Amino acid sequence: MNLVLIFLITIFSLSLFFYGRSKTKSISIQNNIKLNALPKFYGYYLVLWCSIPALIFLLVWSLFEPVIIKSIIIETAANQGAIFNDKNEANLIYEKIKAIHLGTFFGDIDSILKESAISYAKFLNLFTNSKIVLIFGIVIASVIYSLKKIKNNNKARDDVELILKGLLFASSLIAILTTLGIIFSLLFESIKFFSVINIFDYLFGTNWSPQRAFVSDASKITSAELEEIKDAFGFIPLIAGTSFIALIAMLVAVPIGLFSGIYMAEYASVKVRRISKPIIEILAGIPTVVYGFFAALTVGPFFRQAGESLGLTVSSESALAAGLIMGIMIIPYISSLSDDVINSVPQSLRDGSYAIGATKSETIKQVVIPAALPGIIGSVLLAVSRAIGETMIVVMAAGLAANLTINPLDSTTTITTQIVMILVGDQEFDSPKTQSAFALGLTLFIATLILNYIAQRAVKKYREKYD
Amino acid sequence: MSNIKIKSKNLNVYYGQKQALFDVNLDINEKEVTALIGPSGCGKSTFIRCINRMNDVIDICKVEGNIEIDGIEVNDKELDVVSLRERVGMVFQKPNPFPKSIYDNISYGPKIHGKGETKSELDEIVEKSLRKAALWEEVKDRLDEPGTGLSGGQQQRLCIARAISVNPEVILMDEPCSALDPIATAKIEELIDELKKTYTIVIVTHSMAQAVRVSQKTGFFHLGKVIEVGKTEKIFKNPDNKMTQDYITGRFG
Ligand SMILES: Nc1ncnc2c1ncn2[C@@H]1O[C@H](COP(=O)(O)OP(=O)(O)OP(=O)(O)O)[C@@H](O)[C@H]1O
Ligand SMILES: [Mg+2]
Repeated sequence: MNLVLIFLITIFSLSLFFYGRSKTKSISIQNNIKLNALPKFYGYYLVLWCSIPALIFLLVWSLFEPVIIKSIIIETAANQGAIFNDKNEANLIYEKIKAIHLGTFFGDIDSILKESAISYAKFLNLFTNSKIVLIFGIVIASVIYSLKKIKNNNKARDDVELILKGLLFASSLIAILTTLGIIFSLLFESIKFFSVINIFDYLFGTNWSPQRAFVSDASKITSAELEEIKDAFGFIPLIAGTSFIALIAMLVAVPIGLFSGIYMAEYASVKVRRISKPIIEILAGIPTVVYGFFAALTVGPFFRQAGESLGLTVSSESALAAGLIMGIMIIPYISSLSDDVINSVPQSLRDGSYAIGATKSETIKQVVIPAALPGIIGSVLLAVSRAIGETMIVVMAAGLAANLTINPLDSTTTITTQIVMILVGDQEFDSPKTQSAFALGLTLFIATLILNYIAQRAVKKYREKYD
Repeated sequence: MSNIKIKSKNLNVYYGQKQALFDVNLDINEKEVTALIGPSGCGKSTFIRCINRMNDVIDICKVEGNIEIDGIEVNDKELDVVSLRERVGMVFQKPNPFPKSIYDNISYGPKIHGKGETKSELDEIVEKSLRKAALWEEVKDRLDEPGTGLSGGQQQRLCIARAISVNPEVILMDEPCSALDPIATAKIEELIDELKKTYTIVIVTHSMAQAVRVSQKTGFFHLGKVIEVGKTEKIFKNPDNKMTQDYITGRFG
């Protein structure tokens, strides 16, 4: 139904474009006046005026219609003698009524339910009909309004610009509001968590074992229980594991990425560049889960075998395997960012160095890289923030045990892995265990935010210097 | 009459298919300033970049013919470009100090060429170069500040000091004052006057007045050809060629 309406509104308002355009043209010829805007702007004006109010109305209506119908139905059912004790039971009855209406309910239908289903159908009909009538009313009203406007030769150009600006603004508002919403929900859940667990116990605790905390309702926690779980949420092993794996990843990715970036920017011929740059960038497009099973199924076992043949004990899920694969994943980011940065070092600096007799490698090492350094650091920091936010690879390859270790052959765990572990399966939404996931998420968010901020500052500073 | 330092014979330069220089024959005298003038795109930069083989950097650029410095062929494939550029320094149109300290900007060249083994030797080279470039007094207290923090005119003198630091025989200057204000320009011109006692200087300029002020010899380029070369006085007072006359009086270009 709604789709049909949207379709009709669209078709109708688009056809008004041609009407508006030719109408204003003929007005200007007949009355020999100069239009305030090009005829096509009057066309746009009509289109926007006829579609936007109707579409907004439709959207709002569709959001509220189900809510209103539901409350009416539940109310009438209650008046007829249906019994329900709480919200959940009311919802259940409402779902039953709906199912009866759709003919998909197979069970005992008593008279109250039957009555309600009939009135449900009635209300649905009523709402749909009034929706259609109202929409047509709105369309007609806005057509009349806008036609009157264009006949008076209004400043259609300015109005169209204004409406478009409003549309774009609304879109960015949605983007910003959702971001804020996510941040606030993180924040609120974390605050609940920290009202149970002391923030210092969290930040400086060295033991992470949230499975101990199977208390179901955080608000009714007893002091004995609290004592029990107080030290189950120590953040240190997680941040240690995360940083450790990120460090291994960087040890792999920074040299390789940087060198390949230098090669691309300074040595590769146009032809080589044209072929190899996209190939490197394909690496960036591989879904991380693919890297993940590569790490878990190939690299991890390989390390274990290699380790065993050397007489070392290597767990098949190791920080080394996860870090290595994560490093490979990050290579293209570093390589392509540093390539860009190096490319934007002005040629005049290289010329200055060559002119004094420096060779290519001397020039790169002593002039180009130092000049590009802030940008390169920025790209490395961006890569670090990707590494600590990366989930799939570590879930599959790093292990779950929150060991506090610096042995790369041991299994470790990371912030992201623990969030996944906490949230898979059935969860009590109010338990501290679940809420700790939000606290972890918030911590991670703040960490990557800071890293990104510093990185972008560095890159920006660099650009200002040479643009 | 002074000695000929640089001698170009039938020099032809191509950028891909496009020919930029046609049979250029030009002699440059030792310890003199030679000015190259001519309308934009006539090949002045291309010519001076042949002298220190900077055109090697441009992939599509091909150089034919001869350029000799002290009788040694520059275009010889066997020639060591590093030591050629040690002998022939260059200053560019836009000051291009490295993003390093003032000190490191100057010590860069000597280090590359293995001069100044000890810190005190380097210190000496840096001071001498900066003094020669008339910059020492202005920067001696902030040698460890970045070279990019200097004013435009100071940056250009820093670049001149950088070129001098490896003790070259020839200095090529491609419009060294075009990004500078009159006062900074006057300082550089004064400096050039001083430097010609020690170095052979080739300067490209768009300012007739500057050519008259600083140079002893002037070459006029047009569309990749040398139209006229001679003593600066003669070129600007009574040139032989009609085109030269038109150009210096501002009738075209
Ligand atoms: N890197 C290059 N690639 C292709 N063509 C070039 C290149 N550099 C110069 N040219 C061409 O060679 C010709 C001579 O250029 P050159 O830079 O030597 O002129 P110029 O006399 O220095 O001009 P200006 O006074 O504007 O600096 C011009 O036609 C130019 O288009
Ligand atoms: Mg030029």
